[in-house]
Amino acid sequence: MTALFKRCLGMVLVLLGVMVLIFIALRIIPGDPAAVLLNEHVNEATIARLTATMNLDRPLPEQFLSYLGGALKGDLGQSYYMRQSVLSLILTAFPYTLKLTILAAAFAWLIGIATGVISAMHHDHLPDYLFRGLSMFGVSVPVFMVALLLQYIFYFRLSLLPLVYDGSALSMILPAIALGWNSAGSVARLTRSSLMEQLDQPYLDTARAKGLLSSQAVLIHGLRNAMLPIITMMALQLSGMLSGAVITESVFGISGLGRLALLAVQTRDMPLLQGTVLFTAFVITLGNIIADLISFCLDPRVRTKK
Amino acid sequence: MISRKCKSVRLICVVLTAALFLGGCSSSPAANKPAGEDSASNPQSSVLRIALNSDIVSMDVQKTSNDYLVPMNVFDTLFEVVKHDDGSTSIEKSLVSDYEVSEDGLTYSFTLREGVVFSDGTPLTSEDVKFTFERMLTLPDSQQTDYAVAIEGANELMEGAAEELTGIKVLDDTHFTITLSEPFAVFLAQLAAPSTSILSKSIVSDAGDDFGIVPEKTLGTGPYVVTSWERGSGLSFSYNPKYWGDEPSVKEVSAKIMDASSMDMAFQKGDLDIIDCLMLDSAVVDSVYKTRFKDNIVSVDRLGINYLMLNENVKPLDDPTVRKAIQMAIDRQAILDAIYSGDGKLEDGVYPSGCLGYSQDNQGWLKYDPDGARKLLSSVGYSEGFEMELALDSNAAVANQNVLQIISQNLGDVGINAVIKNYDHASWLDLRNSGEMESFLALWILDYNDPDNVIYTFFGSKDNTVIRSNNYSDEATIARIAAARGIVDPGERMKEYSSLEKKLVMDDAVWVPMFSLKHLFVKSDRVADFVPQWAGWSDIYFKKVTLK
Repeated sequence: MTALFKRCLGMVLVLLGVMVLIFIALRIIPGDPAAVLLNEHVNEATIARLTATMNLDRPLPEQFLSYLGGALKGDLGQSYYMRQSVLSLILTAFPYTLKLTILAAAFAWLIGIATGVISAMHHDHLPDYLFRGLSMFGVSVPVFMVALLLQYIFYFRLSLLPLVYDGSALSMILPAIALGWNSAGSVARLTRSSLMEQLDQPYLDTARAKGLLSSQAVLIHGLRNAMLPIITMMALQLSGMLSGAVITESVFGISGLGRLALLAVQTRDMPLLQGTVLFTAFVITLGNIIADLISFCLDPRVRTKK
Repeated sequence: MISRKCKSVRLICVVLTAALFLGGCSSSPAANKPAGEDSASNPQSSVLRIALNSDIVSMDVQKTSNDYLVPMNVFDTLFEVVKHDDGSTSIEKSLVSDYEVSEDGLTYSFTLREGVVFSDGTPLTSEDVKFTFERMLTLPDSQQTDYAVAIEGANELMEGAAEELTGIKVLDDTHFTITLSEPFAVFLAQLAAPSTSILSKSIVSDAGDDFGIVPEKTLGTGPYVVTSWERGSGLSFSYNPKYWGDEPSVKEVSAKIMDASSMDMAFQKGDLDIIDCLMLDSAVVDSVYKTRFKDNIVSVDRLGINYLMLNENVKPLDDPTVRKAIQMAIDRQAILDAIYSGDGKLEDGVYPSGCLGYSQDNQGWLKYDPDGARKLLSSVGYSEGFEMELALDSNAAVANQNVLQIISQNLGDVGINAVIKNYDHASWLDLRNSGEMESFLALWILDYNDPDNVIYTFFGSKDNTVIRSNNYSDEATIARIAAARGIVDPGERMKEYSSLEKKLVMDDAVWVPMFSLKHLFVKSDRVADFVPQWAGWSDIYFKKVTLK
């Protein structure tokens, strides 16, 4: 419990640090939000009025304290660009990102672990060569290229799946594969190497001697012991997917958190960017705590470590 | 056991590979075919399917100066611009059925069209017009104040010294007058711009902060209503059965947000009816759309001018002779041919062709003459050339970067070392608005068809010259530009604008006028007719599309 309390306290400090850093960073970089909003239709009077409306004419400490006070009460301000509450924009966008992330993770982990196990069990044979090649393709091809290929094959050629997200479950399949593709490759490679280390362990001979089939011994005993580094990687991947789905969301027209953050950067929408960064930091730190808890439950060595 | 598994794994692999291969080789069904070939696509006959390359910011036109898709289709203006077959435009009545202008050009008397209602049935009244302009001036984040400041009492209302806009008098439900603080010849043209879309006082008040955000609460008198808006994904529209005008062919519209490659695939697949070539990769436009779909292309002259701005505050650009040398050093025709496949027209002035006040007298004088440019530079002591910066906006189209590269080479040929510097969009705007950007390439598309929309924006006041980073220093000419807005006689006004154009570009070389471009759209075989917006904007009027 003490460890959990420490992690939670750490999370609060991390979030406070993120708030300070992002606040300062956004004020240092060039780019006037009012000017971006007006774009070509700009004049001095309108810039001045908008600047005042956005409270950007106030001293920086006052702006920060106002932001901090609001954030503590759950008010992340109003988006300059979209004129809506930042929190409501984030809470509207997050379910899309969460859904995409869960599907992508499910794809990545199922395919990654399955192909990794097959590769390990048939190492240096055809399936191993094939899946190693595919996993290398998985980790090395950029996500936009995977997305384009998937759209070309499954929408343009086969007419099986929608081109962009249209609210249907089917239209989430291609984005999930595109986002999970790289992770699947990484998981497959790690599963293969981690499982191969276990294959030479004497406890598997014991299991086989007790009458288990070779595959049963590997899947029941070997894979369980090989899973610890894979789970750690999966937790990191989950954080990465939650915060890094910008390209996938853009290509497939999904109004998720990544796209919201990209828009905030492009338009110098300070409240929105602060909000998305803070929210992402919150989700990632929370995810890390959950991953630690899972390791704690799965691995007795973690439980007994002082 | 392992051997049997191996076989099954191999079998799966073979099947998967074959499926992908066969999928890659099969022809796509239901595809848009070039004109003359059969199109198998058969969506609901009255649904128009278009794509957008980015989301809109707001449906409230007073809170955006960039997104006009909703205002153009859901709202109406008092007047509208009509483009004629010969390419000319005129301002025609829309929500007004009659109007008169006093001889001094100060007072406009209007009669509203009878029987116009908003899409929820609320009648349009003169009070709504007054409310629209008052809101334009008092909304804290209004972006359209420019369209109402000419009205008497506007400044007092904006500064809080008055509670109402005294320049608008409501006589009854359908009659009202607008009095200007001084004659402003452009006023009617401004009343035809989507920026002055008429809102309902009761609908806006009831909606509160939801107006412009929630489709069901953002209602106008136009031919369509927004049925859904999913941020980042797109919008859908349906016909407003209470619309006062002719019933359009298109009854429903689906506008989806896509990137360039998705748009290309969707159109070729038959899932889009109109595609905007400006949103596609230019190589794809040249190789696919100008060849396979050449008979489906709808081309419109864009009322916009591409220009290279030169900052008088930066040495040696403060010398008009140097600026003239730069004008002569750039091979604009070669750029037009190389980058835009010749789809445009060279411009030598301030107003693009098609713009009211466009004068042939000010055209045809600017020739590519590198030798002449070198001589001019030598005459003012720059025979060895000098260094300058060409600022590139990272958000600009790839074509802009290519144009700047050729300009840089052209300038290099006469000894000027012009370095292209890339800025992200926000920084680019910051630098330009500060008046310190040395030179930049940009495009101005008309908001309303009047020379004032170009000349006043760039050179009409000291503030404007700073914010556009030209820092034009001739105060007498700046005053003339401001005064031209008040000339009541149209002939006299156009004569003055022609004279000002000559002074600015031929005598003072304030900028390098480059060209105006054609705007290409491609329509599917489902579309019988499509007339783009008069100035060639990407936003289109759905009622100007006729489906087969």
